[in-house]
Amino acid sequence: MSNGSERTLTNRWRWLVAAAAAAIAAVTFTACGSSGGNGGSEAPVAKGGKPTGEVTISNWPGYIDPGPNGTVAEFEKASGLDVNYIEDINDNLQFFGKLQPLLASGNSGGRSLFVVTDWLAKQMFDLGYLERLNHADLKTVFDNITPALRDDPADPGRQFSIPWQGGLTGIWVITSGPGNEIHSMRDLFDPKYKGKVELLTEMRDTVPLVMQMQGADPKNFTKEDWEKAIEFLKKETDSGQIRRYTGNEYTEDLTAGNIVAALGWSGDRSLIGRKDVEWRSPTEGCDTFFDQMVIPVGAPNTAAAYAFMNFVYRPEVQADIADYVNYVTPVAGVKPILEKKDPAVAHNPLVFPPPSLLAPCSADPNPPGSPDEQQKVTEEFQNVITG
Amino acid sequence: MASSAWSWLKRNALRIYAALAVLYLLVPIAVIAVFSFAETPRDRLDFSLSGGFTLEYWQHAFSNQELNDALTTSLKLALLATIASTAIGTLMALALVRYDFFGRRASNLLIILPMATPEIVMGASLLSLFIFYSAPLGFNTLLIAHIMFSISFVVVVVRSRLIGFDRSLEEAARDLGATPVQTFRYVTFPLLAPAIMAAALLAFALSIDDFVISNFNSGTTVTFPLYVYGVALRGIPVQVNVLATMLFMATTVAIVFVILQQRRGERMAGVLPAPEPLAEGSPA
Amino acid sequence: MTIRRRLIPYWLLAPGALWLLVFFVIPMGFMAEQALQSGSLFTGGFHFTWQWSNFPDSLSGNNEQIVRSFYYAGTATVLALLISYPLAYAIAQQSGRWRLLLLFAVIAPFFTTYLIRTIAWKTILYDSGPVVGVFKTLHLIPQDGRLLATSTAVIAGLTYNFLPFMILPIYASIERLDMRLIEAAKDLYASSTQAFLRVTLPMTAPGIVAGVLLTFIPAFGDYVNATILGGTHQAMIGNKIQSLFLVERDYPEAAALSFLMMAVILVMVLVYLRLAGTEAFMGEEEEARA
Repeated sequence: MSNGSERTLTNRWRWLVAAAAAAIAAVTFTACGSSGGNGGSEAPVAKGGKPTGEVTISNWPGYIDPGPNGTVAEFEKASGLDVNYIEDINDNLQFFGKLQPLLASGNSGGRSLFVVTDWLAKQMFDLGYLERLNHADLKTVFDNITPALRDDPADPGRQFSIPWQGGLTGIWVITSGPGNEIHSMRDLFDPKYKGKVELLTEMRDTVPLVMQMQGADPKNFTKEDWEKAIEFLKKETDSGQIRRYTGNEYTEDLTAGNIVAALGWSGDRSLIGRKDVEWRSPTEGCDTFFDQMVIPVGAPNTAAAYAFMNFVYRPEVQADIADYVNYVTPVAGVKPILEKKDPAVAHNPLVFPPPSLLAPCSADPNPPGSPDEQQKVTEEFQNVITG
Repeated sequence: MASSAWSWLKRNALRIYAALAVLYLLVPIAVIAVFSFAETPRDRLDFSLSGGFTLEYWQHAFSNQELNDALTTSLKLALLATIASTAIGTLMALALVRYDFFGRRASNLLIILPMATPEIVMGASLLSLFIFYSAPLGFNTLLIAHIMFSISFVVVVVRSRLIGFDRSLEEAARDLGATPVQTFRYVTFPLLAPAIMAAALLAFALSIDDFVISNFNSGTTVTFPLYVYGVALRGIPVQVNVLATMLFMATTVAIVFVILQQRRGERMAGVLPAPEPLAEGSPA
Repeated sequence: MTIRRRLIPYWLLAPGALWLLVFFVIPMGFMAEQALQSGSLFTGGFHFTWQWSNFPDSLSGNNEQIVRSFYYAGTATVLALLISYPLAYAIAQQSGRWRLLLLFAVIAPFFTTYLIRTIAWKTILYDSGPVVGVFKTLHLIPQDGRLLATSTAVIAGLTYNFLPFMILPIYASIERLDMRLIEAAKDLYASSTQAFLRVTLPMTAPGIVAGVLLTFIPAFGDYVNATILGGTHQAMIGNKIQSLFLVERDYPEAAALSFLMMAVILVMVLVYLRLAGTEAFMGEEEEARA
């Protein structure tokens, strides 16, 4: 092959590829577009009715009592439905990232119900990805929900979310180690623990606790408060004080003794493989969260979703769930049942927190301002934790 | 005495090294196996052996229905994807090495591109394609994705074997009156078989292992890696380690079986994949 | 050549080429379009605006991770090559049964999921474990040091996880080595070392090239090892892209960064092939005379 023909060969090829790419771009340009939806009060109301057939539910792992005697099996027996219960949610934003393109085109990906943390539920609703709930179809839920949760500042009138389980964010310490002296957020950042503490990747858990440590007012975090806290975290991360930012994996590091303390969630006791650990509420104030059941747009068999919600709000069913999961239950009347069944859980202050434990806690807030400004804060935090 | 020990060492250095390297490769497997016997509360791994040992999880290895379903799905997926991508990839490799044609350079580039693409990009972009055509996400979309990313690897492995392949054997066959098809069947293919097997194994392993691309395109289908990822953050059931160890043992048995079958088949056909090419005459 | 003969390569090529075209090239087109969008998920969605600035923006914001990924993947590749070549050679020297057994031992770890393998390493390397203990005794790390959540752990993970990718192509290439050439070299008074350097090594070059590429490229884009074995300063470019896609949901920047990453890899591949000799890889010269 002479040099001349080689050159024309590659030129011709290049031209073809460029033309193809341009054509493709043109086609997709006209097809794709903005990805909004009907947000807020224009969202469709999920239909009730007699539930039949199959239903797919997505939840976090370990968030329901499993097995042939577990809640899902009981639900199937009681309702005659065929339930596909998948535990494929392990991070709010990652789950959202996976579903977003589907939800934007009104497709629920086959799911009728899933569980996400309250702030994400609100974001999804605002983007038009959730259906509104008809309270008439949720009689058992509203008969049994704890009075404090009947309404929610993030979801006034409970239009789109029903609480699943909740919990507190605080500090887990290994009591037999040097971490035993840690009682506050400020203690966590003591240089003598350098490289032996971990924080959470969940921005709305980590940053508010730091803001409270810096003296900000939990009822009214300002933009400056957020920025100051993130600055502080950047400094501590760069210096190597923080070993890692984790989701639930901090439990592994605690078990292995790789760290002396970590920010963590109150219900994770069973995930830690050692006895000498203790959850502490930081002296500067703690953080509460509640995960919510929601119905996505385009959900099939919404009647079945309603049936599930009602089922798990029966106190005797909820007692089984609370006994296994050990987080805070949203259903009233569960404690007496557990006092007979499993007194240890009934008296666990992390499952049935007394007002004194809850008082200094605030619900995980969103950064202030417009969604764009919130996005900026999210990005800044991400830059800190993704080294 | 020392010198003979030293010379023994020199002669067997490579073998000793190989043994050490293999040990290194198998260390994590050993760890996984060991922890499948660990006693833990709540039946979830906590990576400490403080609870002692138990056979309980081996006895109830299949009691976790979601895990079983996920594993079955992964195996089915891997099998189908391997067959398809190995066939398609081998054909491509033959075309690319043995023929010169217009578009050859472009095709070479097309093969390299998927390997140069981060999995997360392939995953996300495939997702947008499926949504655009309203394709329901599930097993089929996963299969499509797995075949897609395996093809390039098959081509590369088979190709590196085809290059420098001793053509004189095929010429000899043709000289002896074999048709092109016969030549392929009795000369080319058996000699190529090890590379095709290697490529198939690689494709199978890639499919079983795949996490990132599957995560985007699986819909509500759960594969084994997706299941592990899901539970890894909240406590891995010990059965995962049990099944992983079982899988390892099963592949051992399967491969030993294949080895025995292959040797028997070769002896019958009178063709053995020789370590050295047998050609007489001038080298290619 | 007859027309039919000319068409053969196209028939062979068709299934694969079509598959890749539909399921790889076109989605890339979608992604290209995304890289030129601007906007945000919350305020009216994304719109195609020929936003070329996404490319330099994403580069400047993430160059630390790009360099780091280069370093990690490069080191892992070199280590994998050093470990793999002698092993592949040893395997090729064995006969029949042993050889297949060894090959199996190389591939077998692959059949336990990537995640499980990496988590197993995490277990092995824990702070008060035997491996760290040995390293401390040998003064390879300070007394209050650790292996996890460091670059060392991430590189070790990358090396281990991609070892089969390096071993298999090299083995395939060594396996069909013509031993008579080596004998001939020795007959001509070459020492073992010279025979290796001047006969074996060049003749197994295609395998090495394939192995290096198959290892470096996925290692460069990996994020699992950094997530499980790394800490706050080990984030690779893959972690960044994942964060942009799934957490920040800044699709245009994510897409732009992805393309940049692919461009870097492609440039590297082309440079490497030029240096290593494209003929060895593409097999153009000799095989063209079909």
